[in-house]
Amino acid sequence: MKNSLAQVFKSGKFLVGFSIIVAIVLAIIVYPLLVPGNPLEMIGVGTFFKPGTYISAYDAVNSRSFYTLNLTDAAAKRVASKLSDADREVMLEWFTLFFEENPGDVDLEEMDINDTQTLVTLWWETYDPSIRFDSMTSAKRKYIARVDAQLEGILEDADVIIAAENDDGTLSQSSVILGTDYVNVSDIASVRILPLGTDNFGRDVLKQMISACRTSLLIGLIAGTIATLIGLVLGLLSGYVGGIVDDVIMFVTNLFTVIPSFVLLILISFSIGQEQRGARVVAVVIGVTSWVWTTRSVRAQVVSLRNRDHVNLSKLSGHSLVRILIMDILPYIASYVIMAFILQVCSGILAEAQLSMLGLGPKTTQVPTLGLMMYWAMAYAAHINGAWWAYFPIVILIAIISFSLNLMNTGLDQVFNPQLRD
Amino acid sequence: MKGYRRYFGKKIIWFLITMFFAVVLNFLLPRLMPGDPVAGITGRAVSGMSDASVAQTIYNQYAERFGTNKPMYIQFFTYLKNLAHGDLGVSFSQYPRTVADILGASIVWTLVLQFPAIIVGWIIGNVLGALAAYIRKGFDKVLLPLSLFLSGLPAFGMAITLLVVFGINLKWLPTSGGYSFSLLPHFSFTFIKSVLYHYWLPFLSIVLIAIGGQAIGMRSMSIYELNADYVKYSRFLGIKDRKIVGYVFRNAMLPQITGLALSIGTMVSGALIAEIIFSYPGLGSSIYKGVFASDYPLISGSTLIITVMVLVASFAIDIVYGFIDPRVKAAQNE
Amino acid sequence: MKNMLEVKDLTTKYITRFHEDVYAVDHVSFCVKEGKSVGIAGESGCGKSTLALSLMGYYFPPLHYTSGEIIIDGKNISGMSPDEVRLHILGTEIAYIPQAAMNALNPTQRIIRFIEDVIRAHQPKASKKDIYDLARKRFEILNLPADVLQRHAVELSGGMKQRTVIAISTILSPKVLIADEPSSALDVSSQKMVIKMIRDLMEMGYIKSMIFITHELPLLYNVTDDIMVMYAGQLVESGSAKQMVFDPVHPYSKGLMDSIIVPEEGARDIKLAAIPGTPPNLKNPPMGCRFAERCKYMTPLCKAYAVKMTDFGDVDENGSHQGLNRSYRCLLPVHELKASYESEAKGGAAI
Repeated sequence: MKNSLAQVFKSGKFLVGFSIIVAIVLAIIVYPLLVPGNPLEMIGVGTFFKPGTYISAYDAVNSRSFYTLNLTDAAAKRVASKLSDADREVMLEWFTLFFEENPGDVDLEEMDINDTQTLVTLWWETYDPSIRFDSMTSAKRKYIARVDAQLEGILEDADVIIAAENDDGTLSQSSVILGTDYVNVSDIASVRILPLGTDNFGRDVLKQMISACRTSLLIGLIAGTIATLIGLVLGLLSGYVGGIVDDVIMFVTNLFTVIPSFVLLILISFSIGQEQRGARVVAVVIGVTSWVWTTRSVRAQVVSLRNRDHVNLSKLSGHSLVRILIMDILPYIASYVIMAFILQVCSGILAEAQLSMLGLGPKTTQVPTLGLMMYWAMAYAAHINGAWWAYFPIVILIAIISFSLNLMNTGLDQVFNPQLRD
Repeated sequence: MKGYRRYFGKKIIWFLITMFFAVVLNFLLPRLMPGDPVAGITGRAVSGMSDASVAQTIYNQYAERFGTNKPMYIQFFTYLKNLAHGDLGVSFSQYPRTVADILGASIVWTLVLQFPAIIVGWIIGNVLGALAAYIRKGFDKVLLPLSLFLSGLPAFGMAITLLVVFGINLKWLPTSGGYSFSLLPHFSFTFIKSVLYHYWLPFLSIVLIAIGGQAIGMRSMSIYELNADYVKYSRFLGIKDRKIVGYVFRNAMLPQITGLALSIGTMVSGALIAEIIFSYPGLGSSIYKGVFASDYPLISGSTLIITVMVLVASFAIDIVYGFIDPRVKAAQNE
Repeated sequence: MKNMLEVKDLTTKYITRFHEDVYAVDHVSFCVKEGKSVGIAGESGCGKSTLALSLMGYYFPPLHYTSGEIIIDGKNISGMSPDEVRLHILGTEIAYIPQAAMNALNPTQRIIRFIEDVIRAHQPKASKKDIYDLARKRFEILNLPADVLQRHAVELSGGMKQRTVIAISTILSPKVLIADEPSSALDVSSQKMVIKMIRDLMEMGYIKSMIFITHELPLLYNVTDDIMVMYAGQLVESGSAKQMVFDPVHPYSKGLMDSIIVPEEGARDIKLAAIPGTPPNLKNPPMGCRFAERCKYMTPLCKAYAVKMTDFGDVDENGSHQGLNRSYRCLLPVHELKASYESEAKGGAAI
């Protein structure tokens, strides 16, 4: 036993998979300690805030101290951030038309529209609102004029004036913010880092995902445990006792092998109803619908062990059925059972995700699960809206969990079935 | 021949038994839940309706259909009788369309999408798995982890990734639907072109997932067979390696066929979710709509159709398998 | 009488997963004359099966050729490319009956299709009909029902499978047949049938010579003319069957003879009861006598010097040298060993 354990940990594949799972479990434990709070709290008003550091604009403006920094590239950056991709495209269009009529030595093919400085310099040189191209619609002309005005607005060195309402209702200047004014982030009272932005309900995606990962792993564990226990007991009985018991168990097992468990999951989950469906109930339902594979493989193993000498010896010594199964058979199939368990956990997590994608997952108000997060992201068309942070990390996380579990399983398989080794 | 007849006879009987139990489960599961199933089912469906009389109509209609006041076996016979007439009830959410009508439209889409995708994925996966086993070394080192990752990726994950990359970022292919919104289903070149254009992404996502799982299975089967005694023996009789590899892959392939019969249910369920992601007008989307609207008849009808599809598919595979693996015949003669 | 098979200093090794060399066949030399058969006996793991594989001249990982020569009917095959060996030697010059005939046949192929593949590997133009006729005739001679040809391997019983394998192995009338424990997994009556079949093949001239490998030394007495005993990758004693069975000289052969193993499932795993201890690790074999650690008669010298195979005067009772030389690999003189055995048999202590 000790020896095979050592061998298991020598297997590279197992080790990689195991390490990833341990890292995920650590993250689940540590992250909530670092960032406490309810993962389902709707902090954002609005949908899909993009990832980044959010600092309170109010606090920034009312900061105790402003620092003057003379940064040469500040203006350029300001312009760059204001010019949208669409603006740049339109500017390029203007250049194309302009140089068709006034050939110059500018190579538009080579021009990088993300190079703001070249773009703006060329703009100053060439743009003239009085020039009219016939091929250009008036809507576009107006758009270009707006872009130009915006550019001038940005480049004008005007300060921003902060006004406050007096007692008599008039506005009076309370402070002026210069183009060179800066605040230190550490002086600002309220800063929130949202590494993965917010979801459609304005909830912190990362925080929710960590919590969801915990729930999903638990669902996988519960489902896996239930499925493995059922499969183990049925497989042991079927394989060892044989006869009518075997026939009945195998009949049921074969039946549920061909009837897709997913269909049963849908029917049961729908029948239970949204209100009754907690994460644990879903886990149990997944568990009781996915034991067939374990039963089959355990039975096959037990049949091959049934007539071994040590088992016969136990039988002759009058040991009870349970004792023989536990003492004489279980140790020999333990490695298979562990492998089956790992796969069950994995398929449990996937089943929850798929079920939730259909809208049959755990009820949404209590705990987040990976499947529910996917469900809401899809329901609010995060993928169409470009809000990748709302679904892509979850897909990756599910894939990584399932990959690691499969890798552990392959590693174990290679240790216990030497033929598969390299 | 006797062996074959016994094999096929067994398979047919087994097919009928599973079919019967599938129908029983479809009938029984919703009825086993505590409380008044009709109230639960219709209650959820009508919770958003303001018109009380409509809700009452639906309840009455459904109570009669379910026959809750009658004993279970009578209910079951009513259910069977309705089934025999192809009557799956009337949809709650798309009232007064019948479920048979709704599903009749979507089943074609699902069949046309999933059947070729699963077959293609199975073939490519097996070829790659066999190559990995035969070549080992570098190819294997890349292919195995990749397959593990692919098969670990949930079907919907693959679907979303493809959708975002090819549909939204690259704009090569459409992101949703089975055909262009501007068209109505009819038999014309434009329509078929549009269908094919919309077909690619869902098809690819199912194929890629299938490849991963099949490649892993085929790889271990092939390695197992490559180590078999008959390989060594054939070599020592001077038979060419290429011929021996032929034996090996044929033998490794055969269990993969039964494997397909056993795993087709799982593959179909994954593919159903992929359909939802692409808003493909198949059964997956029907279930999704059904769940969204708490439309029990639609869900129950869809699950029944899916089960029947899966059972027929695995039955067909078993029959094909019987013809090509002589071991089947031998096992029956024992 | 000419040599059908001549092996000179053949050494082959396994390369393990950890890139270690294991010399499973270490400088083995012997020859088999036309019409003669040689048995090789030894514990499981002594290298006898590896020797069988090595004799085919066809190596695939983890087994590798290291040095030595294999000459079959005057043709030196050690220098040939694997493809030449496959085309011109395997099956036609030298053939092999594997240990586990149960799995030696492709389960999903008809026997006749396999025979076609075997023959076409050497005669690509052979017609289906010719092959079928040849196979049927051969099966008839060997008392195998002809309808076996149309069956799949899975449909045959264990004994039938083994006999079919023998028929297929010898279908091209090879000059040397190597049988690796062809009967060990069978029941007694099937065993007898298999052995009779091989002897028939010899008598009818379909095979010119044979090497029979087994862990049961006594069994060889009925089957082969000469016997060699192998230990830890080396030959330790050789002689005629009668000499080896009734008058073994090397302490290991003696032990092997004294321990009678009942052939039953799992018997291959049983270590010799009469000789305690285990064979040395061949990853780095001891410098001196490889059997020294387990030998009752070990002297300090045994561990210090490598021992060579030495011929000793005992010739066959016919006085001819048609078979193997009587030789052994031990530092102790023959008479001393014999004296110890005698006194032991009388209940005395070893010298």
